[in-house]
Amino acid sequence: MPQMGFVEQLGIGALMTIQVAVLSYLLALAIGTVFALATLKRRLPVDVIWQTYASIFTGVPSLLVAFLFYYAGSGMIASLFSLVGLSVTVDVSPFAAAVAALGMVYGAYLADIIRSAIQNVPPGQFEAARVLLVPRPTAWLFVILPQVLRLALPAMTNMWIVVLKDTALISLIGLKEIMAYAKLASGVTKEPFIYYMLASVFFLGMTALTYVVSQRIEQWTQRGYRPVAAKERAHAL
Amino acid sequence: MNAIVQIPSTADAGRRAAGLQPAISVNRLNKFYGSFHALRDIDFQVAQGEIVVLCGPSGSGKSSLIRCINHLERHDSGSIHVNGMELTRKASDVARVRRQLGMVFQSFNLFPHMTVLDNCTFALRRALRMPAAQAEALAREYLAKVNVANQADKYPAGLSGGQQQRVAIARALCLKPSIMLFDEPTSALDPESVGSVLRIMEELAATGITMVCVTHEMGFARRVAHRCVFMENGAIVEDAHSAEFFRNPRSDRLKGFLAQVL
Amino acid sequence: MHYDPILAWQSMPDLLAGTATTFAVLLPVLVLGLLLALPIALARLETGPKAKAAAGYIAFFRGVPSLVLLYLVYSGLPQLSIVRDTFLWTFFSNAYFCAWVGLTLTHSGYMAEIIRGGLAAVPTGVIEASTALGLTPRQTLFRLRLPMAARYVLKAYQNELLIMVKSTSAVSAITLVDLTAAANTVFDYTYDPFTPLVTAAAIYWCIVNLMRTGFTLADRKLNRHLART
Repeated sequence: MPQMGFVEQLGIGALMTIQVAVLSYLLALAIGTVFALATLKRRLPVDVIWQTYASIFTGVPSLLVAFLFYYAGSGMIASLFSLVGLSVTVDVSPFAAAVAALGMVYGAYLADIIRSAIQNVPPGQFEAARVLLVPRPTAWLFVILPQVLRLALPAMTNMWIVVLKDTALISLIGLKEIMAYAKLASGVTKEPFIYYMLASVFFLGMTALTYVVSQRIEQWTQRGYRPVAAKERAHAL
Repeated sequence: MNAIVQIPSTADAGRRAAGLQPAISVNRLNKFYGSFHALRDIDFQVAQGEIVVLCGPSGSGKSSLIRCINHLERHDSGSIHVNGMELTRKASDVARVRRQLGMVFQSFNLFPHMTVLDNCTFALRRALRMPAAQAEALAREYLAKVNVANQADKYPAGLSGGQQQRVAIARALCLKPSIMLFDEPTSALDPESVGSVLRIMEELAATGITMVCVTHEMGFARRVAHRCVFMENGAIVEDAHSAEFFRNPRSDRLKGFLAQVL
Repeated sequence: MHYDPILAWQSMPDLLAGTATTFAVLLPVLVLGLLLALPIALARLETGPKAKAAAGYIAFFRGVPSLVLLYLVYSGLPQLSIVRDTFLWTFFSNAYFCAWVGLTLTHSGYMAEIIRGGLAAVPTGVIEASTALGLTPRQTLFRLRLPMAARYVLKAYQNELLIMVKSTSAVSAITLVDLTAAANTVFDYTYDPFTPLVTAAAIYWCIVNLMRTGFTLADRKLNRHLART
């Protein structure tokens, strides 16, 4: 039987896993969006930067990237700053290394997903916004973004699950998340099976939850695509 | 037939210009796509209140021409004036010119994630900063005029093609342009829907608004247009009053074209 | 922080030995995972309890991180006496064996879903035509449905393969010294993290991009019939 104390620790670890995964995903979204927008039109210098970035971060295991950031991160940051004549010492925590590694690796994947979604919004939508004199930022926010979301959501959901699961792997750099606590409990109690099963249940539960939530969001982004009337607004008038 | 629209009180500049100068004046316009010469030395005038139909085989440049007029395509040389204002590449000029123009696309280009009503109020509220209630009243007025008032709270996908195109016309009219541009408005429609859209366009023409229509609907051209322009290979081949255009086509090319489409 | 080419050269034997381990883990997993995935994908396309079981299998092994599976197999299962006290122990006490089992389960879950998608994409007209021509269901499967599905899923398979290459880095958690672990070992005795980790990254990068190139060539060959003449 699992001991409550260890189960509690597992819960704390699970919260850490979720924290790392969420922050990593947000970082990946930011990186992905910037690259997607920057590479919409092919321009040589941007293209070269993007190709190099994508090639590196999709060609190397995220665990290795995390190790590199964790062990060599402070050195890399220091030498980066020394280029501009500053002497900076930063300690890279496992948390920061994990978020940076996952964010940068999956940012490369999300950039592709987001770019192809933008490219699949019919050009007529941009044109309609232009001839209606809608300012560009407004058009992007209210016309293009909702349609990009609709197109990109399934792939973005998958990517979230991948990031969440990869967070478990990244624990190997010394992150105190669910896997670390499961390993600790296994070592002490000599009952590894039950604690690793609990960890499995956590990840399966998160996957199921993701599925439910994404269904909800999908219904919202799909509004108008099935020929059903909108909710009667007449009442509100 | 009752007129559907009081002549829209257009942007001030256009109003002052009305009657003094042509609504649209295109001079020696050239447009290239890469090495393809899409528009060749186009000279094209539209008077205030005039209804002009542009026709010609596909690839003849008629769509390119009206897309240049509202700067969806950049022209490479020549000039375009709309109500006396020159269309340059400056964003402020482009905006001023577009303020005069309403545009209806072949594929409607309604915003699929917004209701019909929101499609119409979106630009009023976001571009013209009109209060919501006022925008909604205006939108409902125009939706009624194109006979889709009862669809206002549906999403575009729930409407027939003809209804969608009429919504698109209402959406353009909401901004009270002085000139309406139509780019093959009925080409994507099933035969039953074509009539409903053409009827609206005819009613609109009767209000005295200036219209430039790219269309293959020769019946509409004959009934409604004051002038017809035939284009081929990026050049204007024939430009005549519509009665003359159909009765006495001068060039063999136009004769051949009319024989095909009539 | 600078890259030390001499250290990189000196650590090459260790890193290449790690690379060999990576492949020793990877190759059996790819073969076994594919073999296991096929019947599961077929079961998933049926109806009834078999399909439900297959769906559960796919959901479980896609939902659980491979590191969890590796720990479960390597240290969880030996807790059960049926594993510890029988001939099974010979196998499960071996870290390679556990790595193969753990990663094969993950890989088979993903592959089953990919194959299912490919088979489902085969137009029903093709199957009907084949039945009408008198081919047996077995012949239809092996001569028509699978070859057609293979073409549809090539892109997805490529992605899955590249993911598996990178996933093998998890096996360092169960004492195997793969490429990632080898780089860490070099770091341990040289106190230079940058050089061995970057060198290992470069080796991974080469492996992944060689496979990408291979797939591009294979894709061109397989889809010759779609090319414009």
